[in-house]
Amino acid sequence: MKGLLLVARREISVRGRSKGYLISLLVSAIAVIVLAFLPKLLGGPDSYTIGVAGSDSAAMSAALKSVKPPSITGDSAAIEVKEYPDAASAQAAVKNGDVDAAVIDASTMITDGGVSTELSLTIDTAYKEVATAKALDAAGLNPAQIAQATAGVAPLKQESVGEDADEASARMGVATILVIFLFFMLMYPVMFVAMGVIEEKSSRIVEILLSTLRPWQLLGGKIIGLGVLGLINVLVLLAAGLGAANASGLMPDLPPGTTAVLMGTLGWWILGYAFFASMAGGLGSLVSRQEDSNSTITPLTMLMVGCYLAALLSASNPKGTLATVLSYIPPFSAMMMPMRSASGSVELWQQLLSAVILAASVVGTLALGARIYRRAVWRMGSRVKLMDALRG
Amino acid sequence: MMEIDGLRKSYGAKVALDGVTFTVRDGEMFGFVGANGAGKTTTMRIAMGVLNADAGEVRFGGHALAFDDRRRFGYMPEERGLYPKMKIGDQVAYFGELHGMTPAAAKSAAASWLERLGLSERAGDHVQDLSLGNQQRVQLAVALVHDPEVLILDEPFSGLDPLAVDTMADVLAERNAAGVPVIFSSHQLDLVERICDSVGIIAAGKMVAVGTVDELRRREGHRILKVEVADAAPGWEQGLPGRVVGTDDDALLIETTDDQAVLKAAMNAGRVGHFGWQEPTLVEIFREAVA
Ligand SMILES: Nc1ncnc2c1ncn2[C@@H]1O[C@H](COP(=O)(O)OP(=O)(O)OP(=O)(O)O)[C@@H](O)[C@H]1O
Ligand SMILES: [Mg+2]
Repeated sequence: MKGLLLVARREISVRGRSKGYLISLLVSAIAVIVLAFLPKLLGGPDSYTIGVAGSDSAAMSAALKSVKPPSITGDSAAIEVKEYPDAASAQAAVKNGDVDAAVIDASTMITDGGVSTELSLTIDTAYKEVATAKALDAAGLNPAQIAQATAGVAPLKQESVGEDADEASARMGVATILVIFLFFMLMYPVMFVAMGVIEEKSSRIVEILLSTLRPWQLLGGKIIGLGVLGLINVLVLLAAGLGAANASGLMPDLPPGTTAVLMGTLGWWILGYAFFASMAGGLGSLVSRQEDSNSTITPLTMLMVGCYLAALLSASNPKGTLATVLSYIPPFSAMMMPMRSASGSVELWQQLLSAVILAASVVGTLALGARIYRRAVWRMGSRVKLMDALRG
Repeated sequence: MMEIDGLRKSYGAKVALDGVTFTVRDGEMFGFVGANGAGKTTTMRIAMGVLNADAGEVRFGGHALAFDDRRRFGYMPEERGLYPKMKIGDQVAYFGELHGMTPAAAKSAAASWLERLGLSERAGDHVQDLSLGNQQRVQLAVALVHDPEVLILDEPFSGLDPLAVDTMADVLAERNAAGVPVIFSSHQLDLVERICDSVGIIAAGKMVAVGTVDELRRREGHRILKVEVADAAPGWEQGLPGRVVGTDDDALLIETTDDQAVLKAAMNAGRVGHFGWQEPTLVEIFREAVA
């Protein structure tokens, strides 16, 4: 046990203090924060200022204030209206940027080289409202009557034959990001395990290590140590992501239960890591030279990329047969099930069932990886055949 | 006491060890010599448990060597192995801890060994930034840090400068004096002859000679006489029992089994300046043994 902890501690202190690890931690945290602020950045400004001048200024101003600008994030920008005494001063205000646009005589929009669709739709809506009222008035209809008549017009009713489309697309976004996140968070430490095992074998340091440590201590310590570093990375990113989502005001727009899904991801990450890392340790021990590493590690990388792509492509169809089946088959389930849970299409018991299956398979790969490692790690020279290591 | 008893090991059809047997007593310095591919490294790897023998046993203090015994051994493998990107001070201390030392004890032992081996200033450097000879000193520090009960060193002297060779020899002699059996392999036979109590010669997986240097001399020697006769007529050696195998300055080297006949003939030929058995060097013993 002490040997295991010593090995783990060395991995943490050596790898954790390396520039590569710290930089990747920082870069990934920044990426997550940017991601959380992205909708806000893409969503345009928080408020618009519109100038009005000339005839019908009061009506126009009232109409503008009552319009809710369309928005892709769901948070409408606020509208502020400034009144100007004449057309010339309104135009000047547009020109020097005091206002984003101006409306003259409730009929002409003044812009400084065009405005965003969002703003133009807002002004257009207000314009139609005022113009319609004027036209009805001109046709001899009394404004009070008009107001009374239109008051009965109910707002457009919305009915969906599918799920809430807004929520579904938000869920798909969360699920996609989650899969990408899981993939990278798994890939890094798993590759470090493989590279670490090969490094120890290629530098022949295993010969000294194995005269003081059992193979399981050496492999187990490495998996645990690098796992702790990976876990720290995952936690930092979850904290950064949730914190940034709160700060950017994205949180309320996320589908209900997202926080729980993200927390659950931690469990999926641990299981997935244990699965892939024990395979990486076993496969890495087959070669004694860094140059040979590709030949044994590639199948593992392919498997991980396969799991990743399957989950990523299923994000748009989380209830499809492929997604449903693969969400119970290790190691696909390690990414597929969290994706499906983010998309809100699975029950808790289904997730638990899949987790139990994955955990059972982790026991299997740990035993297998340790067996291969134990038999192959001190066989120097040419690459050890997998079958020899399993039988040997 | 380390007993290597009847080790056998084959790689496929290739027999690497064919019944290797020898004993190293406490406080004994054992030089393990043999041609390339003779089986030295294989024997030492088996002794360290890094390789399994097909047959035979290694005993320590009378019982079969177990994992926990080996944790108290110091080992220097043939292919040096260190973490390239770890500070050497941390690295030596890490191995001390792996061998069961407390962190504090490992740290101070590491510092004092690096000091002893002239590497104090480099304690914060990465191994990959050291010269090969200095890496080897670190390797020695790793083998020694935990005050091992047995030292098994595979070619510890290769690649060292003459001063480092002396330091290494001093350190080994010191451990030896403390009762530690030291087994090391080397191709530097003059050095082995100088510092070892006993020597084992292995050829093609078999021990062909084991014993103290004097024992080996006695066994291999007493075949060649060195005879110097002043004022002897040329050709006096004609007709002696034996044959002339060379000269050494004015002396003749005569391989013979009848030393008394040669002595008589020499005295008849003139004034005998020197008459005695030629002491073979380890190199000669080695050549003879592996021939
Ligand atoms: N992994 C291996 N596979 C096949 N043959 C091996 C292997 N390791 C060693 N051998 C063979 O075993 C024999 C003994 O090798 P060993 O390394 O013990 O020699 P050595 O005495 O240490 O030689 P050197 O002085 O060159 O270091 C050699 O013939 C070698 O080819
Ligand atoms: Mg060798």
